[in-house]
Amino acid sequence: MVRLQSVEERHMDLGLAGKRAIIVGAARGIGIATAEILAREGCDLAICARSEDGVKDAVASLKRYGTNVVGAAVNVKKEDAYKAWLAHAQEQLGGCDVLVPISSAGGGIGSEKYWQNAFDVDVMGPVRAVEAVLPGMIERQGGAIVLIATTSAAEAMGGPQPYNALKGSLVIWGKQLALAHGKDGIRVNVVSPGPVEFEGGNWDMIKGTMEKFYQSILRQQPSGRLGTPEEIARAIAFLASPAASWCNGSHLTVDGGFTNRTHF
Amino acid sequence: MVAGADVRRQVDVIRVDPQSFPNGTPAEKAEDPDLGHAIIPAERYTSADFMAREWAMMWTRVWLLGGRSDDIKEPGDYICTDIGRESVLIVRQPDGSVRAFPNVCLHRGNKLRPEGRGTVEQFRCIYHHWTYGLDGTIQRIPDLGTFPQGAPPEGRLPSLPCAEWGSFVWFSLNPDVEPLQAYLDPLPQHLEPYRFERMAMKRDITVEWDCNWKASVDAFNESYHVQGIHPQLLWYLDDVNIQIDCYARHNRYLIPFATISPRVAVPSSIPPAIDEIMRKAGMDPAEYEGRVTDIRRDVQKHMRANGAKAGKDYSRLNDDQLTDDYHYMIFPNVTLNTHADDLMLFRQRPHPTDPDKMLYDIWTFELVPDGEDWPERPKHQHFRHGDKSIGQVLDQDAVNLPTVQKGMHSSAFKGLWLGDQELRIRHFHKVLDDYLFGPVDAKTAQPKTDAGRI
Repeated sequence: MVRLQSVEERHMDLGLAGKRAIIVGAARGIGIATAEILAREGCDLAICARSEDGVKDAVASLKRYGTNVVGAAVNVKKEDAYKAWLAHAQEQLGGCDVLVPISSAGGGIGSEKYWQNAFDVDVMGPVRAVEAVLPGMIERQGGAIVLIATTSAAEAMGGPQPYNALKGSLVIWGKQLALAHGKDGIRVNVVSPGPVEFEGGNWDMIKGTMEKFYQSILRQQPSGRLGTPEEIARAIAFLASPAASWCNGSHLTVDGGFTNRTHF
Repeated sequence: MVAGADVRRQVDVIRVDPQSFPNGTPAEKAEDPDLGHAIIPAERYTSADFMAREWAMMWTRVWLLGGRSDDIKEPGDYICTDIGRESVLIVRQPDGSVRAFPNVCLHRGNKLRPEGRGTVEQFRCIYHHWTYGLDGTIQRIPDLGTFPQGAPPEGRLPSLPCAEWGSFVWFSLNPDVEPLQAYLDPLPQHLEPYRFERMAMKRDITVEWDCNWKASVDAFNESYHVQGIHPQLLWYLDDVNIQIDCYARHNRYLIPFATISPRVAVPSSIPPAIDEIMRKAGMDPAEYEGRVTDIRRDVQKHMRANGAKAGKDYSRLNDDQLTDDYHYMIFPNVTLNTHADDLMLFRQRPHPTDPDKMLYDIWTFELVPDGEDWPERPKHQHFRHGDKSIGQVLDQDAVNLPTVQKGMHSSAFKGLWLGDQELRIRHFHKVLDDYLFGPVDAKTAQPKTDAGRI
């Protein structure tokens, strides 16, 4: 005899409703896609990005889900302003349950300055955000942090770049944060996206400017296409949600099978 | 912004105020000529009769680019260049002037020199050793006593008009041609601020293309093709916000470089080609904190502030000229991509007899910073289309032309269906028509002669 499932049982509830989330770098790409899902799932949001217009547009759009959404134009490289915004964002939300720091300085080879940029944005961006939210999470004995690395840390892409090397450091740091704060009810996980394409993104430009390289990457994708921001954002949202309660210290590759290695 | 273009963003390109640089290259928009919307008949590209008329009425009447002045620095240095069925010798004289002669021995018609450059004390035909001086006068006829009629009475090779301008040497097959400066008007005022004489030749290439020479001229006279065959350039230049200016014979467009086409979204990182522009200007893209859309202006400011330190005098150029392509077409067959640091020049030459073939010359030049050694001149290369790459962008330009030319022969193809972005092509054909059929009567909008008109 077939037992009819209740609606509650048929749908997995992420449990994000009412959570307060901070997303660093949410004007475009994976950032805005993550913000969309979290807002739709009922999270209050504080977002930032470098572009004033970008933040304004994103906040206006995200508000349509009816939660509290605030945002500001912040350059992660400007330490004081960034820290001040992180504190202010927590005040505006009344705390922080979910942190997703996404901002990146992107790639670049040939100038020592690229190391500084990657360190300031890709490393110290997440570090400063985590340090800003940890005391509150510890006090409340709960929270979820999702760090964003890249498949370019695990497998070569675009030459020996600071981006690849310093993104790799987040995988290590994320695991060790998870070990250190599991006792506080805080989960820390890492998502490594493979190539993601969206209008205005790097792969959109590569498709236009380096057609052959782009095609070679497409051939490397088992499904013959690149990922979308939403496909990465759904994995981030899951790891950020109480539904992922037993995921801690994990490193999830979300690449449509792009990477060659076996993820033991 | 071109009305009606498919764009994703509205972009207002910052341009220099034309009044702010009164002694430099004029930046004003010229009023667009009303040239109608008729098709440009395909037969113009394929017909032997039309080709013959071009030769008789146009090629033999205009000024033509012969070569580079610094290739004939010393007396006796010469350039031998072919145009259609003619071959011309351009020779530096002992007094520093230049003279041009048909490259043909008056005895039996042999060519005196092969095409190319060289240095001579006199021109001696290798057949019977008839010998001519640098000024074209007959110096020696072996066994002159065996010619009862004597030497040719004129005593010299015919003289062709020859003059120098803009570091280049020009000639005409028309003994009655107007002065060179008048012919080039108003471009001398436009181009002299670049001071091409400070630029050294970097490439000297001739490619045989299987198309009519006008198909090649047309290929560089519009920016509409960028979205079609140069998609990578959409992250390098603004192909939509183009200023087109048509003058009496010649025309130009101004293309903003170091910026993003309104056809694509602004990327979050600096595109590779713009990265290269910044490095060439002496900037470190890794240090750049501004928006991608601000780079063009910031490169201009950086070059303005630092050019002199790098031995590059930009004082006669306006800010836009520091980044943008001021793209000129000198009728009938010279295309100049002018930039502050370099010049990319194309010369399109007709085949002597076949309307389906042409010669495409690429000459590129780079500004030599003050105090740096003048680089060695490159050797001339000559090959057929497809045998070697001429660079990604020019390969993309070249690849269509043989199929365009084939298509011109199709009975289904009546002619070119041109849009507003292709106004320069229409203007070029109008100027050509003025030569072939006489100027169009302003009242009746009809050419004064209709004979043989296509």
